Order: sequence, then structure tokens, then C-alpha cells
Amino acid sequence: MRTGNKNIIRLFYTLLSCCICLGYINASANSNPSSDTTALSTKEQALAFLDKQTDLTASNFWPNVHPVFFLQNLRKNIENPLSIYEGRSTNFCGYAALSYLPLHDDPLGYLRFMLEIYKNGKAVYGKEYFEPSREIKQAAGTLSFKGELDIRPADQLWFMLLADHFKGYLNFFDKHYNPGDENKTWAAVNFAKFNRMVRNLFNYKVESIGSDLVRPGLRDPVEYLSSRLQTGNIALFVNNLDLYKKNHTQLKFSVPTHFVILLNITEIDDDTVAITYWDYGGKTLQRVSVSFLKKIIFGISHITQKTDHAK
Amino acid sequence: MQNNRNYIVFLCLLLLLSSCVSRKAFSTKYYHENEKTLTGIEQSFKTLYAQKPFSLGFSDLSFNYISIEIITDSIKYIYEFQINESRFQDTLYKYNLPADGITNLVNQMRSIHCLWINNLDFYTNNQKRSLVFMSIHPLAIHIPFAPEKYYILTFYSQPQYFDSEGRLLERRRLKKLRKINDEVFRRINDKVCYTISERFR
Repeated sequence: MRTGNKNIIRLFYTLLSCCICLGYINASANSNPSSDTTALSTKEQALAFLDKQTDLTASNFWPNVHPVFFLQNLRKNIENPLSIYEGRSTNFCGYAALSYLPLHDDPLGYLRFMLEIYKNGKAVYGKEYFEPSREIKQAAGTLSFKGELDIRPADQLWFMLLADHFKGYLNFFDKHYNPGDENKTWAAVNFAKFNRMVRNLFNYKVESIGSDLVRPGLRDPVEYLSSRLQTGNIALFVNNLDLYKKNHTQLKFSVPTHFVILLNITEIDDDTVAITYWDYGGKTLQRVSVSFLKKIIFGISHITQKTDHAK
Repeated sequence: MQNNRNYIVFLCLLLLLSSCVSRKAFSTKYYHENEKTLTGIEQSFKTLYAQKPFSLGFSDLSFNYISIEIITDSIKYIYEFQINESRFQDTLYKYNLPADGITNLVNQMRSIHCLWINNLDFYTNNQKRSLVFMSIHPLAIHIPFAPEKYYILTFYSQPQYFDSEGRLLERRRLKKLRKINDEVFRRINDKVCYTISERFR
């Protein structure tokens, strides 16, 4: 009986020790800042890392991306993150918009990935493992007549890589790259795919409202956007044909086709606001009516950095 | 009943006629008929753009609303005005744009239904070049509910290369077509090409 009691007590202490150990391990995991924290780095760190890349040779995986132009392009992106340009008439706007985040918050992480994929033809970024198709490797660096994207081979590589890897329902009928597909549904980005890319690649917290077809239905979009700009980045999924007035057709099916990063919104009067946004390699300031703003916005993603104490 | 039949016959003839009109013939003919005005607009725009970069157009088909994009080193401003609104002139002065020149350009554009003019950069052998991009709203018969079509003209500073069908090529030896906004362009002369597009910019 005493032996039995001892055994029970031993078992009790063993179980207790196990629980404490497991609890400790779990607590350690949670208190580890790298477990669920958005990676951050500075422009200076990134430039210092880039300065060390003096022995980069031509990649066997990317035959049309010259190492000198590749590094020049990366340097431009780090020194002037707003200059990244999706190219004229391509469907790369979603990929360009999400690039705004690592280029501002973690340029070193972006650089490490780009050099890894250039050298080895495969690499991991966040939760994603990239091993691009042969067609992409051949095509990167050959896109032409897209404006400044023609002379930015690293951006061509980056956009094509993302389009090749991430698939949404819009890409269902065109999953494999053929020349010219950068302008077609192969490269298209729907709202959910955009948010998924931001979460999986850069580990941000993304709160989104709206959809690919139905507007968010906000009563006061100005107040909503202003308040969220105070705490994070905002990506807007907008109707490009209306924003840039690209045609005059009376009967048009209003759908969102373009991603921009909202930088500022200011009320001019009761019905007019000035919005400052980033797209096409630069900032734009545009005065629009509140009703027009409601009409063009289909999706709003509020993107904030994760820290270990704010999961 | 007889009236209805006549109406249907008339509509069918109209559709038949519109389908028979060669867009190529229309475009080259349109260019040659308006060559003086078109090249005048191109030259004025180039001169004004050199002073301060901008793009200019009309946001409605009645040509009453002007849309202007003022490009600076750090930011692009997009404004829209009614054609006679004093704010338009005020804005031009505010950004040190050549107000008289731009007002004349607006009037010239309006006279031939030119909807949009801007400067596009492109690269040949890593060298930056530019062209003037102009879109015109044709006054030809418009089929109801069909998407609008615009005549797009591109003006190059250097002679371009074309294939035997008159399609614009990337380079002389490379048989790859040069597409702008995903459209194939055709020759009007060595430096001017055209296409027909559903997008005016």
C-alpha cells in the first residue's frame, strides 16, 4: 500500500514535471520575439548587405537577368522604394503594391531573398517556398515596352515569380506562363489572393473589408481610412477604369482591377477629399468627391506589423 | 407595318455599311486630312512638355471637362475642371505651367476631338526614348451598346521599323511586334503609327 502510494506520488510528480516543462516550452515559444513578429530591418542594413555583393556572377537559372543590372535595380529599390514600377499595361499592380511593405519595413529580408533566388533558382520567403517554372526563368529580363520596367530586370523577376507562385480563382484558366501573359489573367490578383500574399510572405496582420465584386459599404469612408492610416498601411483595391477614366462607355460592369497604397487622405470640404496614393512608381495626389471614392473602392486592407505581445 | 419594315431594312443597311468601312482606310485618311492640325498639336505639346511635364485630356465625350496631370519630381497631381472654370487657369499659374500655351492646346485638341495627349517613355538598347501618344474620338457611326473605339496615334522622334504588313516592330532585325498597351500599331509614315483601341489612354 505504501509502495503503491509512493508510486502514485511518483507518477503525480512526474506528470506535474512534464506539465511544467511543456508549459515552459510553450511559454518560451510564445516569448520568442521571432515566433510571430513581423521581421524588420533598416535601409542602412540593406545597403550595407548590398555593398558586400561584389562577386555576384551571372546566374545559370536566370539567363536574361544580367548581374550588374540586377544589383543596380535592387539598389534603386532600396534607395528609393517608391520607384518600383509595375510596367505599362501589365497585371503586376498587386505585386507592386505589396512590394511597398518589405521595401519600407524589411529591405534586408527582401534583398536576402532576391539574391538567394538569383543564385540558387529557389528560395524561401516567409511561409512560401519558391521554385519558379522554366518559362519564368527564361522570360524574366526580356519584357519590353512596359516603360521603365524594361530596364528593371530584378523587378521583372520578382513580379513574374510572384505571379507564377501564387494562384487565385482568376488564374484558374491560365496557370502557365506564355509570352504576353503578364498582361493577361495569368498575372491577375484578386482581393483574397493579395491579402494571402501579404500574410504569408511578410507576416503582417491583415484586416480586410470588401471583396472582388461588392463594395465595403462604409457610411463614412474618410473617417474609416483616416483612422486606420494612423496605425498601419492601407492597400486599396479600386476600379482603375474609373480612377483613371480609361474609357467613356456608358454601360460598364464596375469591377476592381487595380491595387494602390493609400498614403494620405484629407478633407477639403463636405464633399471633396484629397487622396495621396502610391502606384506606377510614384505618388499621386488627386481631389475626388466622397461619392466617387465610395464608388471606386471595392476592398480595403489594413496591414499592421505583428509584435510578440500583439497576436 | 410598312414603316417598321423600312426601319429594319435601314438598320440592316447601316450595320452592313459600318462593317464594310475599313478602319485602316479611315485612320490613314483621317490622319492625312488633319495632318496639319495633328502635327501642330504634337509640336505644341512637345514644346510645352519640355517646360514642365504634364498630360492633358477630356474626361467626357462632350469635351466640357478637362483632366490634367501635372508631373513633378516627387508627386503627380491629377485635377479635373470644367472647360471655362477659372480654377483651371489658377491651377496652371500655381504650378508655373505655360497657361496660354496649354489653353491654346486645349482648344486645338477640342477642335479635332482629341481626347488625350501624353508622353510615353520607352527603351531601345537600354536608351530612354519617348513618343507622343494621342487618342481621338472618331465621329463615325457608333453602334449602340458596343464599346467605344478610339483612334490612337503615336508620334516618334526617329523613323521606326515595320514588317511587310506595315506593323510596328521592336527592332529592324527582330521580327517581334512592338505593342503599346497590348495593341499592335500600324504605319502611317516612318514616324507616325496608329491603332484602334477600346482604351483611350
